[in-house]
Amino acid sequence: MTRIEKLQQLLDQGFHRIGQIEILRAESIASPPPCAFLLCHEDDIEHVVNASGHPSGFSETCNPFDARDISTYADDGEYRFTKGQINLKRRWVMHLADITALHEAIENFYPSNFSLWLAQQRGILEVQTLRDKLNRQTGMYRFARSISNEGAQKLVQRVCGPAHQCAKKILWQIDADTPLEESEASRFNGIGSGLAEPHAIPLLCREACNHFVAECRKESKKEFEAKAQA
Amino acid sequence: MPITAKPQAALFIAGHGSTENPDSSAPYFEHADEIRKRGLFAEVNCIFWKEEPSFREAWYLTDCEEIYVVPDFISEGYFTQDVIPRELELTGPTTTVRGKTFHYCAPVGVHPSMTQLLLRRAKEVAPDVDPTQTTLIIVGHGTNLNPNSTKAIKDQCELLRQQTEIPYAAVLDTYMEEQPFIADWHTLAETLNVVVVPFFISDGLHSFQDIPVLLGFESEVGAAASQREVFRHNPHDLHGRKLYYSSAIGTERLIADVILDQIHDFDQLHSNNANDTH
Repeated sequence: MTRIEKLQQLLDQGFHRIGQIEILRAESIASPPPCAFLLCHEDDIEHVVNASGHPSGFSETCNPFDARDISTYADDGEYRFTKGQINLKRRWVMHLADITALHEAIENFYPSNFSLWLAQQRGILEVQTLRDKLNRQTGMYRFARSISNEGAQKLVQRVCGPAHQCAKKILWQIDADTPLEESEASRFNGIGSGLAEPHAIPLLCREACNHFVAECRKESKKEFEAKAQA
Repeated sequence: MPITAKPQAALFIAGHGSTENPDSSAPYFEHADEIRKRGLFAEVNCIFWKEEPSFREAWYLTDCEEIYVVPDFISEGYFTQDVIPRELELTGPTTTVRGKTFHYCAPVGVHPSMTQLLLRRAKEVAPDVDPTQTTLIIVGHGTNLNPNSTKAIKDQCELLRQQTEIPYAAVLDTYMEEQPFIADWHTLAETLNVVVVPFFISDGLHSFQDIPVLLGFESEVGAAASQREVFRHNPHDLHGRKLYYSSAIGTERLIADVILDQIHDFDQLHSNNANDTH
């Protein structure tokens, strides 16, 4: 089964939410625009449905690759360096011609996430431990590998999870023998909307993001300085 | 050079990306859009070292069993020779990884067709100057850590000197972090007009923040490129010269053609070669 066929199957099973994106079928809306699907922010569903896909003051696009532009900055102008952040901007609607366009849009709003989820479902997703990720860093980031396991555990609780703006489900461990300690971040299931699967699919974190790596570097520097002072 | 359509294959454009500067990855997406419009591949995706999707996630991104990877990098070096092959598990020009065949092409910056893009960019930024009274300076990063990092620029400068279409008085290669330094542009160039083209993929920290300071028309490192208009203030009157500064060569949309040229050259060079499988 191709990923497009799998996406169609998932839609038939009731899938309509990924991250902060709502997928609306055009036939579920009165007098819809000429398209198969409409995408919008989950907090804008009512506006989009009530306005038959043309809410006043919203930007409209038919290009699924505009997902990248929509998701680059938050409403407050902040750069969304990881697309798992829960600050996707509002007041836009995407009219998509077919399921191929839908696939392209969701893979651009949440880069590779549907592919990773599919691989996980098929049992072929390889997860990368934090140590593996840190040990491959170069340049100024190579110092990130010096962080202690304790420091890394604390950092997960300080940086990851919805309380810190990231809605991804962490799949990785510190190393092959060291799972993450229990915390809100490590327990989070990757579905910020609270919906159950298959109505929503989770956002997955198969390797620590580069923001986390940068934080590891800062933390390892603090650890080094603390040891030097002791 | 036109390439044959590959409707069963995917193209992955590999870039560096940034966690801090959204301008950094914009050119890669523009190059992908341009190629996508031409309908040559089943899919065109961008993959990154510092952004999502990561190089390591590339394998999962497509149903295609044949994938061309073109590094949207300016030179051969650590990233193209070590990082990308390691992350994608590539062991040669063509590698089959868990059932998917990857063709690994050379980076865009080393292709001879870059010469025309450099000329075009130089002409755009200073359309009315007399080339015989003008020095064209190509500026790169440079690092003492890897001698390959400057080879692409040196090669391009030699090609620019050899061409006769636009006869610049001189063509110079300069660098941010090794000699000859771009900061010495006014002593290196002997003409009234000086055109500077950054040999970078994106208008990130270097081309729009660091180099303007080294050239002397900005006094301190400023905001990201998208929030500024550095190149619209040409020419800059400095040291008794007219200095014209362009945006990074990688922001040229026709880099898409160079990507396709690299695929064409790959097919020509490796059509009969062996395939590593693992």
